[in-house]
Amino acid sequence: MARVLLVGYGNTLRGDDALGPMAVERLRPQLPDTDCVTCHQLSPELAQRLTEYDLAVFVDAAADGEPGSASVQRLSSETAKRASLTHHVQPATLMMMARTLYDRSPDAFLVTGAGADFANREGLSQNGRKAMDEICRLVLRLILERT
Amino acid sequence: MPTITIDPITRIEGHARVTIQLDEQGEVQGARFHVTQVRGFEKFCEGRPFTEMPALMARICGICPTSHLLASSKACDDIMAVRIPETGQKLRRIMNLAQITQSHALSFFYLSSPDFLLGMDADPEERNIMGVVRKFPQMARDGIKLRQFGQRVLETLGGKRVHPGWIVPGGVSHPLQAEQRDQILAEIPEAIRITHSALQWFKGQIENFRVEIRSFANFPSLFLAMANSSNELAAYSGWLRFVDANLNIVADHITGTNYQNYIGEDCNDDSYLKSTYFKPLGPTEGMYRVGPLARLNMCKSMGTPQANEELAEFRELERHSVLSSFYYHYARLIETLFSLERMRSLLNDSEILGKNVRAHATPNSFEGVGVMEAPRGTLIHHYRIDQNGLIESANMVIATGHNNLAINHGVLQVARQFVKGKILEQGMLNRVEAVVRAFDPCLSCSTHAVGQMPLEIQLIASDGEVLDQLRR
Repeated sequence: MARVLLVGYGNTLRGDDALGPMAVERLRPQLPDTDCVTCHQLSPELAQRLTEYDLAVFVDAAADGEPGSASVQRLSSETAKRASLTHHVQPATLMMMARTLYDRSPDAFLVTGAGADFANREGLSQNGRKAMDEICRLVLRLILERT
Repeated sequence: MPTITIDPITRIEGHARVTIQLDEQGEVQGARFHVTQVRGFEKFCEGRPFTEMPALMARICGICPTSHLLASSKACDDIMAVRIPETGQKLRRIMNLAQITQSHALSFFYLSSPDFLLGMDADPEERNIMGVVRKFPQMARDGIKLRQFGQRVLETLGGKRVHPGWIVPGGVSHPLQAEQRDQILAEIPEAIRITHSALQWFKGQIENFRVEIRSFANFPSLFLAMANSSNELAAYSGWLRFVDANLNIVADHITGTNYQNYIGEDCNDDSYLKSTYFKPLGPTEGMYRVGPLARLNMCKSMGTPQANEELAEFRELERHSVLSSFYYHYARLIETLFSLERMRSLLNDSEILGKNVRAHATPNSFEGVGVMEAPRGTLIHHYRIDQNGLIESANMVIATGHNNLAINHGVLQVARQFVKGKILEQGMLNRVEAVVRAFDPCLSCSTHAVGQMPLEIQLIASDGEVLDQLRR
């Protein structure tokens, strides 16, 4: 059976930026065989962990796009751009690190939901909630199709 | 006056900028380090129950929450006037050592190693952690593994890697389990191997950085760190001591009750970061440094065998104290070795699995001060409470504040060395940043960033003409 890692990242104190962690928490009970991780931001240590899985799905909030919508992007280690800031590591960068350092990286996808309100507060906006529904639908489909 | 602005400084913890003022002849006249974010923790915790302070204060930063958790809990211990059970003290020390390990690993491997490995003049597109991954994969793997180890210890003890709990006023919330201890112990040998390897590599590189060593905040200053009666490196408990550049003690046995007699704090119009100074000498003469360099200069012994051997070698760099801030990096590695060795001895202590880890009390004092050594230097939390245990006022003196005057002085020194004429070069720009990075300033950047932050430096003539411009 394919080993799956689901990573939701974002700041839960910045409104719709919490989409990633909140979506993963909502999905956790529905995906008992998936390892779920939530964090504020991605860090290089995750690169090593990625090598333990066949499939990795990252979930993040986006400040652009139609608020309330969600989209899927396939990741590859080749799509990594420059990464000078340790505070802002992109999923593709982690994939590249995993491939370069450990000679292995999983099949990976980034699911992003477009938020509308990133103010200092807890909880999602109306569009944020709509985006979360979309994210959950896309993530479930991605994982169920591949496991 | 022509001004060069570097905004933001990259590969530090938080957002800051540097301005460099040139005179009419194009020579560097002045330089300033500005911290451009306001956090406001001292103000918005007013009115909160003092028992909430450790959890609140840990939110100051995503890199060093454990240090604030510890200093805050110590201030609350002081308010409650409790004696922490021996096992609780030792467990807190382990947590602090894990914090030092993960923070120093981050600073050395992720933030600073691109400069050492790829060169100060390398293309900034390449001079970053990904450049290290591509060209020096073993070094990158080692850095990831060492930081991972430190974070895993924090997670094992505190429940999570960032903003862990567990440390509470009176001790720690629950005892250590045998399997947790064994799991940490099993990983220490590899962490020590990595640290030795990095030390050997760094020592071999020193000759290549002679110019930077000479000009990176290399000047006489006072040093402040915790001290104890054995004169071993003190990271968790002790009193404060100031020494001068010749290592003569200028003030000793400073405690939470009298630190304000010795440490003055100044506010600046152009930065949210306060500048502290040695009060008896005033803000001009009272500049001092804290952190790994200060701690290694001050202690007579690290207190652990392998780190002691490294300290002896470190001492051979200079006759008295080691003055170049470039050596902060070296000191960080020696402290990492110390942390791992000390962690191992504490975990092997026969009492470490003891169940008595917390003392309980209500407030017995209206004031409390917690002092400890964070990875970047001395950290002080000072609270006053009212009759109901609510915070009336809070004052936090952080390592980067202690170092602020020295950072400013260092930026000026390095700008004078490397900024020449009307043409800007990336290598010059990076050296100005790198001297700031040597201090590993932590500007509390735990907010998830949206978008890519630009770095821009402009050389502006006195008539406003942009003579040169670099952008990243």
